[in-house]
Amino acid sequence: MSEPATKSPGDTSAESRDIIRVENVHKVFRGAKDHRIVALAGVSEVVARGEVLVLLGQSGSGKSTLLRSLNGLEAVDSGRIVVDGRDVTDRKTDLNALREEVGMVFQNFNLFKHKTALENITLPLEVVRRTSRQEARERAERMLARVGLADWAGSYPSQLSGGQQQRVAIARSLAMEPKVMLFDEVTSALDPETVGGVLRLMEELAGEGMTMVVVTHEIGFAKRAAHRIAFMDQGQVVERGDPQGFFAAPQSERAQQFLEQIL
Amino acid sequence: MFDWLLDVYNYRVVADYASTFAFGIWRTVWISTVSLLAALVLGTGIALMRRSRRRLARWPATVYVEALRGTPLLVQIYLVYYGLPEIPLLGRRLDELEGGVLALSVHTAAYMAEIIRAGIGSVPEGQAEGARSVGMTRWQTLRYVVLPQAFANATPPIIGQTAVLIKDSSLLSIIAVFETMSAGLRLMSDRYMPNEAFLTSAACFLAIYAVMLGVSNFAQRRLGGAT
Repeated sequence: MSEPATKSPGDTSAESRDIIRVENVHKVFRGAKDHRIVALAGVSEVVARGEVLVLLGQSGSGKSTLLRSLNGLEAVDSGRIVVDGRDVTDRKTDLNALREEVGMVFQNFNLFKHKTALENITLPLEVVRRTSRQEARERAERMLARVGLADWAGSYPSQLSGGQQQRVAIARSLAMEPKVMLFDEVTSALDPETVGGVLRLMEELAGEGMTMVVVTHEIGFAKRAAHRIAFMDQGQVVERGDPQGFFAAPQSERAQQFLEQIL
Repeated sequence: MFDWLLDVYNYRVVADYASTFAFGIWRTVWISTVSLLAALVLGTGIALMRRSRRRLARWPATVYVEALRGTPLLVQIYLVYYGLPEIPLLGRRLDELEGGVLALSVHTAAYMAEIIRAGIGSVPEGQAEGARSVGMTRWQTLRYVVLPQAFANATPPIIGQTAVLIKDSSLLSIIAVFETMSAGLRLMSDRYMPNEAFLTSAACFLAIYAVMLGVSNFAQRRLGGAT
């Protein structure tokens, strides 16, 4: 297993080239009757500003847990995670402030069901950012237009298709003007015909220089948009490299097996 | 024309007591509304305590709910009215109306707490995750995302419990609170006409219930959205 290029571990300056640093992170889920599932077993990784990192691996390999630990949604047992100069693993860190700058999009959208598409975007702006009602509304309308849903502002999530809901969820994150976007299997719950629209939107974002960490099974997306692939197995990154090299000639046995299964 | 009815139910006598019953209805509505609001606020707090990760918060809330559900409302009314000493801030003891409303609120809150707790449980985990991931605090998540959906989901049982509350408020007549039941009791003691006294009280309660149902249906349709 190759360690990421080591820089001074205490480097938390905002000017740092790397926006995300993960250092030797461990996480165990404890269930009933001493049932233990090792989710992360010493993961280290860095993500540079503007980089698109795609995490691949079998389900249960720890990629979603790693992603969710980047904004503190999942607390890790040990190790250190620094995102944009904030130590996520430090209890004193204001995670709410961090999450304003780290957008996250979920497999099941997690749109607020009691709010319209527009309100889903204005609510965080008004509540978290204290944006004025008028300004929040204007920004939400711009964001909906940007994801191609200008005509759906007044619709509730239950009235939208999965793909539309996911685009609203992306718009909700983008409205907060995040520095990093995390995508957690965002097309896995979608009907096949709506997947394309979501992936195209993500590729556009990547093209605009957004820093993205993407957990996905969409190999096509990974080939087109990823700057780098990290392949995970049993809670560790076992292989990393550029997409061309990785897909053409994976080095590790596990990655070879994985690619054989899905291609 | 309705003379035959006079033997069973003398509406002329009831008409003499119209203002008495009207005042009783007004009082019942007032008592129920205040108690309902207090019970919802208190019940939400208890529900949140019961869902807390801290045992020190969960434990007292559980004792509260079970103690109030396990003892008769009548006993609770007597205890509050006769048992409470002088209230320091008030400089006097509670009067019968204040004591009655307090007992009803505290009692109903135990039931509301369980209803609201179930309502919160019915909101998918992902809703809170969605809120936290855009930077909302725990409190903002609760206030803007979880509780609105919890209350929307819990509206039917809340209405059911409100119907119980309206009827339970008749028990306050025994500590001399004047309300709908007391109006009937006055007619009874003045004239000894049980049908006129109690059928009228019953009809008044039914009317209050019907209006409450109509208002809540209207509100649900207005506020419900498409959830």
